[in-house]
Amino acid sequence: MKTNTLLSIILFAYAVTAIGQEKYITKTGELTFEASVPSFEEVRAKNTNVSAVLEAETGNFAVLALMKGFRFKVALMEEHFNENYIESSQYPKTTFKGTIKDFDFSRLSEKSEYTILGTITLHGVEQQVEIPATISIADGTLLLAAQFVLRPEQFNIKIPSIVSKKIAEDVNVAAVFKLQKQK
Amino acid sequence: MKKKRIFLILILLFAVGGFLAYNYVYQDHRDIKSETSQLEISAPYLLERFKTNNGDDLLNKTITVTGTISSMEEGAITLNESVYAQFLEPDLELKEADNVVLKGRCIGYDELFEIVKLDQCTLIK
Repeated sequence: MKTNTLLSIILFAYAVTAIGQEKYITKTGELTFEASVPSFEEVRAKNTNVSAVLEAETGNFAVLALMKGFRFKVALMEEHFNENYIESSQYPKTTFKGTIKDFDFSRLSEKSEYTILGTITLHGVEQQVEIPATISIADGTLLLAAQFVLRPEQFNIKIPSIVSKKIAEDVNVAAVFKLQKQK
Repeated sequence: MKKKRIFLILILLFAVGGFLAYNYVYQDHRDIKSETSQLEISAPYLLERFKTNNGDDLLNKTITVTGTISSMEEGAITLNESVYAQFLEPDLELKEADNVVLKGRCIGYDELFEIVKLDQCTLIK
Protein backbone atom coordinates (compact mmCIF):
# COMPACT_ATOMS: atom_id res chain seq x y z
CA MET A 1 0.00 0.00 0.00
CA LYS A 2 2.71 2.39 1.05
CA THR A 3 4.76 1.62 -1.98
CA ASN A 4 1.71 2.11 -4.17
CA THR A 5 1.10 5.61 -2.80
CA LEU A 6 4.76 6.43 -3.16
CA LEU A 7 4.80 5.13 -6.70
CA SER A 8 1.73 7.13 -7.67
CA ILE A 9 3.24 10.28 -6.16
CA ILE A 10 6.41 9.73 -8.16
CA LEU A 11 4.44 9.03 -11.31
CA PHE A 12 2.28 12.11 -10.76
CA ALA A 13 5.30 14.31 -10.14
CA TYR A 14 6.92 12.92 -13.24
CA ALA A 15 3.80 13.60 -15.33
CA VAL A 16 3.54 17.18 -14.04
CA THR A 17 7.15 17.97 -14.84
CA ALA A 18 6.74 16.38 -18.26
CA ILE A 19 3.82 18.71 -19.07
CA GLY A 20 5.60 21.71 -17.60
CA GLN A 21 8.63 21.06 -19.73
CA GLU A 22 6.85 20.75 -23.02
CA LYS A 23 8.93 22.97 -25.26
CA TYR A 24 8.70 24.18 -28.80
CA ILE A 25 12.09 24.82 -30.32
CA THR A 26 13.96 25.83 -33.45
CA LYS A 27 17.60 26.24 -34.38
CA THR A 28 16.85 27.66 -37.82
CA GLY A 29 14.91 30.79 -36.90
CA GLU A 30 15.19 33.84 -39.15
CA LEU A 31 16.11 37.30 -38.00
CA THR A 32 16.35 40.13 -40.53
CA PHE A 33 17.15 43.76 -39.94
CA GLU A 34 17.11 46.69 -42.28
CA ALA A 35 18.43 50.20 -41.80
CA SER A 36 18.36 51.34 -45.40
CA VAL A 37 18.06 54.96 -46.42
CA PRO A 38 16.46 55.69 -49.80
CA SER A 39 18.93 56.25 -52.68
CA PHE A 40 21.85 54.81 -50.68
CA GLU A 41 23.22 51.28 -50.59
CA GLU A 42 20.85 48.78 -48.99
CA VAL A 43 21.74 48.12 -45.33
CA ARG A 44 20.14 44.79 -44.64
CA ALA A 45 21.26 41.54 -43.08
CA LYS A 46 19.75 38.18 -42.39
CA ASN A 47 20.55 35.42 -39.93
CA THR A 48 18.95 32.04 -40.60
CA ASN A 49 20.57 30.20 -37.69
CA VAL A 50 18.71 31.76 -34.79
CA SER A 51 17.75 29.57 -31.84
CA ALA A 52 14.47 29.95 -29.99
CA VAL A 53 12.67 28.07 -27.21
CA LEU A 54 9.05 28.49 -26.18
CA GLU A 55 7.66 26.83 -23.06
CA ALA A 56 4.10 25.82 -23.90
CA GLU A 57 2.90 25.88 -20.30
CA THR A 58 4.22 29.24 -19.17
CA GLY A 59 4.65 31.22 -22.39
CA ASN A 60 8.29 31.83 -21.54
CA PHE A 61 10.19 32.63 -24.70
CA ALA A 62 13.94 32.81 -25.28
CA VAL A 63 15.92 33.68 -28.41
CA LEU A 64 19.64 33.59 -29.12
CA ALA A 65 21.30 34.89 -32.29
CA LEU A 66 25.02 34.74 -33.00
CA MET A 67 26.10 38.08 -34.43
CA LYS A 68 28.60 36.53 -36.83
CA GLY A 69 25.70 34.69 -38.43
CA PHE A 70 24.26 37.89 -39.95
CA ARG A 71 24.95 37.97 -43.68
CA PHE A 72 24.98 41.15 -45.77
CA LYS A 73 24.93 41.51 -49.52
CA VAL A 74 28.07 43.66 -49.45
CA ALA A 75 31.04 41.89 -47.82
CA LEU A 76 32.65 45.13 -46.63
CA MET A 77 29.43 46.12 -44.88
CA GLU A 78 29.42 42.77 -43.08
CA GLU A 79 33.00 43.40 -42.00
CA HIS A 80 32.22 46.88 -40.68
CA PHE A 81 29.11 45.59 -38.90
CA ASN A 82 31.15 42.94 -37.10
CA GLU A 83 34.29 44.95 -36.39
CA ASN A 84 33.14 48.52 -35.85
CA TYR A 85 29.48 48.62 -34.89
CA ILE A 86 28.33 45.43 -33.21
CA GLU A 87 31.86 44.36 -32.18
CA SER A 88 30.97 40.71 -32.54
CA SER A 89 34.26 39.37 -31.18
CA GLN A 90 33.62 41.09 -27.87
CA TYR A 91 29.83 40.58 -27.91
CA PRO A 92 29.30 37.42 -29.97
CA LYS A 93 25.60 37.00 -29.30
CA THR A 94 22.35 38.82 -28.80
CA THR A 95 19.63 37.32 -26.63
CA PHE A 96 16.01 37.87 -25.80
CA LYS A 97 14.37 36.51 -22.66
CA GLY A 98 10.77 37.16 -21.87
CA THR A 99 7.20 36.01 -21.55
CA ILE A 100 4.29 36.04 -23.95
CA LYS A 101 1.48 37.97 -22.27
CA ASP A 102 -1.78 36.02 -21.75
CA PHE A 103 -0.40 32.98 -23.50
CA ASP A 104 -2.64 29.96 -23.42
CA PHE A 105 -1.47 27.11 -25.56
CA SER A 106 -4.89 25.48 -25.78
CA ARG A 107 -6.43 28.68 -27.20
CA LEU A 108 -3.84 29.28 -29.93
CA SER A 109 -6.37 28.58 -32.66
CA GLU A 110 -8.68 31.37 -31.41
CA LYS A 111 -6.20 34.12 -30.73
CA SER A 112 -3.19 35.08 -32.80
CA GLU A 113 -2.14 38.57 -31.69
CA TYR A 114 0.15 38.62 -28.68
CA THR A 115 2.54 40.91 -26.86
CA ILE A 116 5.90 39.60 -25.74
CA LEU A 117 7.47 41.35 -22.77
CA GLY A 118 11.13 40.89 -22.02
CA THR A 119 14.72 41.97 -22.23
CA ILE A 120 16.96 42.22 -25.27
CA THR A 121 20.68 42.01 -24.62
CA LEU A 122 22.69 43.39 -27.51
CA HIS A 123 26.21 44.81 -27.63
CA GLY A 124 26.42 44.20 -23.88
CA VAL A 125 23.43 46.48 -23.15
CA GLU A 126 20.11 45.29 -21.71
CA GLN A 127 16.86 46.90 -22.82
CA GLN A 128 13.30 46.22 -21.72
CA VAL A 129 11.06 45.77 -24.73
CA GLU A 130 7.47 45.11 -25.61
CA ILE A 131 7.13 43.33 -28.92
CA PRO A 132 3.87 42.66 -30.78
CA ALA A 133 3.82 39.21 -32.34
CA THR A 134 1.50 36.88 -34.19
CA ILE A 135 1.45 33.24 -33.18
CA SER A 136 -0.36 30.45 -34.96
CA ILE A 137 -0.21 26.69 -35.03
CA ALA A 138 -0.51 24.38 -38.01
CA ASP A 139 0.35 20.67 -38.23
CA GLY A 140 2.17 20.78 -34.91
CA THR A 141 4.41 23.65 -36.03
CA LEU A 142 4.10 26.84 -34.05
CA LEU A 143 4.70 29.89 -36.22
CA LEU A 144 5.80 33.01 -34.39
CA ALA A 145 6.37 36.22 -36.35
CA ALA A 146 7.26 39.64 -35.02
CA GLN A 147 8.28 43.04 -36.34
CA PHE A 148 9.67 45.85 -34.29
CA VAL A 149 12.03 48.81 -34.33
CA LEU A 150 15.31 49.20 -32.47
CA ARG A 151 17.66 52.16 -32.44
CA PRO A 152 21.46 51.70 -32.40
CA GLU A 153 21.85 54.40 -29.73
CA GLN A 154 19.68 52.34 -27.33
CA PHE A 155 22.43 49.75 -27.31
CA ASN A 156 25.36 52.13 -27.22
CA ILE A 157 26.24 51.41 -30.86
CA LYS A 158 27.92 54.46 -32.30
CA ILE A 159 27.53 55.22 -35.99
CA PRO A 160 30.29 57.55 -37.22
CA SER A 161 28.90 60.80 -38.62
CA ILE A 162 30.53 60.13 -41.99
CA VAL A 163 28.17 57.19 -42.65
CA SER A 164 25.26 58.22 -40.43
CA LYS A 165 23.35 59.58 -43.43
CA LYS A 166 23.47 56.17 -45.07
CA ILE A 167 22.20 54.24 -42.06
CA ALA A 168 18.67 54.79 -40.80
CA GLU A 169 18.20 55.76 -37.15
CA ASP A 170 15.32 53.35 -36.84
CA VAL A 171 16.35 49.80 -37.57
CA ASN A 172 13.47 47.57 -38.63
CA VAL A 173 13.78 44.07 -37.25
CA ALA A 174 11.72 41.11 -38.42
CA ALA A 175 11.72 37.67 -36.80
CA VAL A 176 10.18 34.44 -38.04
CA PHE A 177 10.35 31.25 -35.98
CA LYS A 178 8.94 27.88 -36.98
CA LEU A 179 8.94 26.10 -33.66
CA GLN A 180 8.66 22.35 -33.42
CA LYS A 181 7.86 20.26 -30.38
CA GLN A 182 11.03 19.08 -28.72
CA LYS A 183 11.45 15.33 -29.01
CA MET B 1 50.13 69.85 -76.12
CA LYS B 2 51.49 69.65 -72.59
CA LYS B 3 48.08 70.55 -71.19
CA LYS B 4 46.50 67.71 -73.09
CA ARG B 5 48.96 65.22 -71.64
CA ILE B 6 48.31 66.33 -68.07
CA PHE B 7 44.60 66.08 -68.74
CA LEU B 8 44.98 62.52 -70.04
CA ILE B 9 47.08 61.50 -67.05
CA LEU B 10 44.48 62.95 -64.70
CA ILE B 11 41.71 61.02 -66.41
CA LEU B 12 43.76 57.83 -66.19
CA LEU B 13 44.47 58.34 -62.48
CA PHE B 14 40.80 59.01 -61.87
CA ALA B 15 39.80 55.84 -63.69
CA VAL B 16 42.34 53.70 -61.80
CA GLY B 17 41.34 55.29 -58.49
CA GLY B 18 37.68 54.67 -59.18
CA PHE B 19 38.35 51.09 -60.15
CA LEU B 20 40.35 50.43 -56.97
CA ALA B 21 37.72 52.11 -54.79
CA TYR B 22 34.94 50.11 -56.42
CA ASN B 23 36.84 46.87 -55.90
CA TYR B 24 37.44 47.74 -52.27
CA VAL B 25 33.83 48.60 -51.52
CA TYR B 26 32.36 45.70 -53.47
CA GLN B 27 34.97 43.07 -52.63
CA ASP B 28 33.81 39.46 -52.69
CA HIS B 29 32.55 37.58 -49.68
CA ARG B 30 34.84 34.99 -48.14
CA ASP B 31 34.59 31.69 -49.93
CA ILE B 32 34.58 29.24 -47.06
CA LYS B 33 34.29 26.33 -49.49
CA SER B 34 37.70 27.03 -51.02
CA GLU B 35 39.46 28.22 -47.85
CA THR B 36 41.89 25.87 -46.16
CA SER B 37 40.67 24.64 -42.84
CA GLN B 38 42.58 25.91 -39.80
CA LEU B 39 41.75 23.02 -37.51
CA GLU B 40 40.31 19.54 -37.64
CA ILE B 41 38.32 18.57 -34.57
CA SER B 42 35.62 16.13 -33.45
CA ALA B 43 32.18 17.58 -32.67
CA PRO B 44 32.12 16.78 -28.90
CA TYR B 45 35.61 18.14 -28.45
CA LEU B 46 34.73 21.38 -30.25
CA LEU B 47 31.78 21.84 -27.87
CA GLU B 48 34.07 21.13 -24.92
CA ARG B 49 36.41 23.91 -26.04
CA PHE B 50 33.59 26.46 -26.03
CA LYS B 51 32.17 25.21 -22.73
CA THR B 52 35.53 25.70 -21.06
CA ASN B 53 35.82 29.19 -22.57
CA ASN B 54 38.56 28.11 -24.87
CA GLY B 55 36.86 28.63 -28.19
CA ASP B 56 36.91 32.35 -28.85
CA ASP B 57 39.97 32.09 -31.05
CA LEU B 58 37.97 29.83 -33.37
CA LEU B 59 35.27 32.44 -34.07
CA ASN B 60 34.96 33.28 -37.75
CA LYS B 61 37.59 30.62 -38.60
CA THR B 62 37.14 27.91 -41.18
CA ILE B 63 37.32 24.55 -39.46
CA THR B 64 36.76 20.88 -40.25
CA VAL B 65 34.48 18.94 -37.92
CA THR B 66 33.95 15.18 -37.71
CA GLY B 67 31.00 13.50 -36.08
CA THR B 68 27.80 11.47 -36.27
CA ILE B 69 24.52 13.07 -37.30
CA SER B 70 22.20 13.17 -34.28
CA SER B 71 19.40 15.22 -35.85
CA MET B 72 18.40 16.85 -39.12
CA GLU B 73 16.94 20.33 -39.56
CA GLU B 74 15.96 22.47 -42.50
CA GLY B 75 19.19 22.72 -44.52
CA ALA B 76 21.27 21.87 -41.50
CA ILE B 77 22.41 18.97 -39.35
CA THR B 78 23.48 18.48 -35.75
CA LEU B 79 26.51 16.33 -34.99
CA ASN B 80 26.68 14.36 -31.73
CA GLU B 81 24.17 16.81 -30.20
CA SER B 82 27.06 19.23 -29.91
CA VAL B 83 27.66 20.96 -33.25
CA TYR B 84 25.03 22.50 -35.52
CA ALA B 85 26.07 22.96 -39.14
CA GLN B 86 24.16 24.87 -41.79
CA PHE B 87 25.00 23.93 -45.35
CA LEU B 88 25.59 26.18 -48.34
CA GLU B 89 23.45 23.93 -50.51
CA PRO B 90 20.58 22.49 -48.51
CA ASP B 91 19.58 19.43 -50.52
CA LEU B 92 21.75 16.75 -49.05
CA GLU B 93 21.35 13.03 -49.11
CA LEU B 94 22.19 12.56 -45.48
CA LYS B 95 20.37 10.73 -42.75
CA GLU B 96 20.62 10.34 -39.01
CA ALA B 97 23.49 8.21 -37.67
CA ASP B 98 25.67 8.92 -40.74
CA ASN B 99 29.31 9.64 -40.01
CA VAL B 100 30.40 12.83 -41.71
CA VAL B 101 33.32 15.20 -42.14
CA LEU B 102 32.42 18.78 -42.96
CA LYS B 103 34.04 22.16 -43.36
CA GLY B 104 32.45 25.44 -42.33
CA ARG B 105 32.77 28.76 -40.57
CA CYS B 106 32.46 28.75 -36.80
CA ILE B 107 30.02 31.49 -35.73
CA GLY B 108 29.90 30.81 -32.01
CA TYR B 109 28.44 29.01 -29.01
CA ASP B 110 24.70 28.82 -28.48
CA GLU B 111 23.89 28.62 -24.76
CA LEU B 112 20.20 27.88 -25.29
CA PHE B 113 20.88 24.50 -26.83
CA GLU B 114 24.48 24.15 -25.66
CA ILE B 115 25.77 23.69 -29.18
CA VAL B 116 28.45 25.26 -31.33
CA LYS B 117 27.14 26.70 -34.60
CA LEU B 118 28.75 26.63 -38.03
CA ASP B 119 27.49 28.18 -41.24
CA GLN B 120 28.38 27.96 -44.96
CA CYS B 121 29.30 24.30 -44.54
CA THR B 122 30.28 21.87 -47.26
CA LEU B 123 30.45 18.14 -46.92
CA ILE B 124 33.90 16.62 -47.27
CA LYS B 125 32.96 13.02 -46.60
